[in-house]
Amino acid sequence: MKRYWLSLIVALGATFFMIYQSTLLAQQSTPSPAPAATEAKPETRPEEKKVEAAAPLEIKLDKTNLDNGGTITVTGQAPAGKPVYIEVSADQKVRASRFDSEVDKETGKRPYVLYMTHEMPASYKIYVPTTQKDDLDKIKKEGSKWSYSQALKDLGADVAYSAPGKIKIDRYQATLMGSIVGSRGDLLPAMDDKENKKRSMQLVKARFRSPGKVFSPTVDVKPDGTFTAKVSIEPGSAPGKYSVRAVVDKDLKSQPAAVENVVGFPIIYMSNAGTSINLLGPFLLTLAISIFGVLMGAGGGFILNPLLVSIWPLPHTVVAGTVMPTVLFSQGSGIYNYSKIKFISWKLGVAIGLAMLAGGFIGPKMTELITLDQYKFVFGWILVILAGLMFWQTTPGYLEKNKKEQAILKEFKKRAEEAAKAKGK
Amino acid sequence: MIVEFWGQEFKVNVVLGCIGGFLIAIVSSMFGFGGGPFMVPLMTVGLGLPMYVVVGSSLLAIFFNTLMGTARHYQFGNFDATFFLVMFPAAILGGFIAPQIAKRISPLMVKRVACAGLLILAANLLGLF
Repeated sequence: MKRYWLSLIVALGATFFMIYQSTLLAQQSTPSPAPAATEAKPETRPEEKKVEAAAPLEIKLDKTNLDNGGTITVTGQAPAGKPVYIEVSADQKVRASRFDSEVDKETGKRPYVLYMTHEMPASYKIYVPTTQKDDLDKIKKEGSKWSYSQALKDLGADVAYSAPGKIKIDRYQATLMGSIVGSRGDLLPAMDDKENKKRSMQLVKARFRSPGKVFSPTVDVKPDGTFTAKVSIEPGSAPGKYSVRAVVDKDLKSQPAAVENVVGFPIIYMSNAGTSINLLGPFLLTLAISIFGVLMGAGGGFILNPLLVSIWPLPHTVVAGTVMPTVLFSQGSGIYNYSKIKFISWKLGVAIGLAMLAGGFIGPKMTELITLDQYKFVFGWILVILAGLMFWQTTPGYLEKNKKEQAILKEFKKRAEEAAKAKGK
Repeated sequence: MIVEFWGQEFKVNVVLGCIGGFLIAIVSSMFGFGGGPFMVPLMTVGLGLPMYVVVGSSLLAIFFNTLMGTARHYQFGNFDATFFLVMFPAAILGGFIAPQIAKRISPLMVKRVACAGLLILAANLLGLF
């Protein structure tokens, strides 16, 4: 009987997961029919046309409205024999941060400076000519150590880099003492334009992580200079306006053209995470994991957090900061229930609780200092330790001791409940 | 420190408890989980307290951590309201369904499955496959 129930849970979990996966696939395989540009033109469109006419470089988009992502074909005419780059950036802004603790080559010191911006485009990509596919593959092979500014130079795409270059970046000088008391450190004076651009490139890498997210070799340039490019806004991208701009060199740029991406229920946009996801996915995952969590006697966060950052492109800071409050209420109600029957040692709980209060003050500060890879790595080891603890709890020695303990626990609880009842009367 | 609980007195090494709790709180609030599975062994094995003292008191201690961690994450802008509204009902619902299932399956079996699952997940996170 027990086995039956267990297998049922596993089967249900697997089914939910498969349903979720298949809805994802369905979304990808059937791009929703976006209305053609001729049917629904945004109001700003005629105006832009006029400005574009003045610029020497013109681009045409085959559609300007998208429903949860899709592919747009950009065509245009550039001077013959020159590479063409297309910059696509979302108007939606998200937060990006990077902690610089690498040794400075000039001074030999570690700067320990936290760079933070609230104006990073929620999605940003430069489309490079198809001929540069090999160069891009080389960059992809570098693994996590790749440099965005170097990649821009190698691909010649630095001329197209403009949207994130002017974002406002705050710098904080972190100190050991500051980190201990949980402060971000002192705000340093603003950087000049050049420095700002350089740091913004590092933030682009910190935010989008892989070269495939920020580069795509899909601009097909013909010998006579006409070019076509497939610009794909991925499902799960932020809703709102996207600016598309073609760049040949410093002086030859097209006016930005606008594309509107609409995201509808049940896909919702999380403004802080910068991602649109089908809300059924996290809902079912949280449900399954929290049931399992209660059964194994540990909170679900252990399994939920690594899964959330692995399955969806969610920043680890947002995952950590949002999962934590979800257990607040269940813990609160647990304490209330125990306190009703006087089953809490307030002295002990508060004493250790105050130490934990101090720890909880520091921890969230550390979350933004680490990268996603470090987050996953440390979490991996935490899970190994937890698995060890779980295994220890299934050993015969522990079980026997636990049996006695549980019996005493039950006995005491019964007495406590009776005492509480008697008092109530 | 001497703690009195239901007519019995326990001697508690409060320094060890506080240092352990402090470290657990840093890690758990940093990574965004509760910390219960680490606190309970700390208090039973590390401090030598019986289970019936630990169940309620560890929950109270962890609550302090969760409260502070939540406030700080909110302060740093790590809280996404939409995401929370998706997960919160699921977590509450899970809390109601779980006890119904718990009556029917052996906790030993759950722990063994959890153990295997955690190792697989850990291997994945550490990039072993």
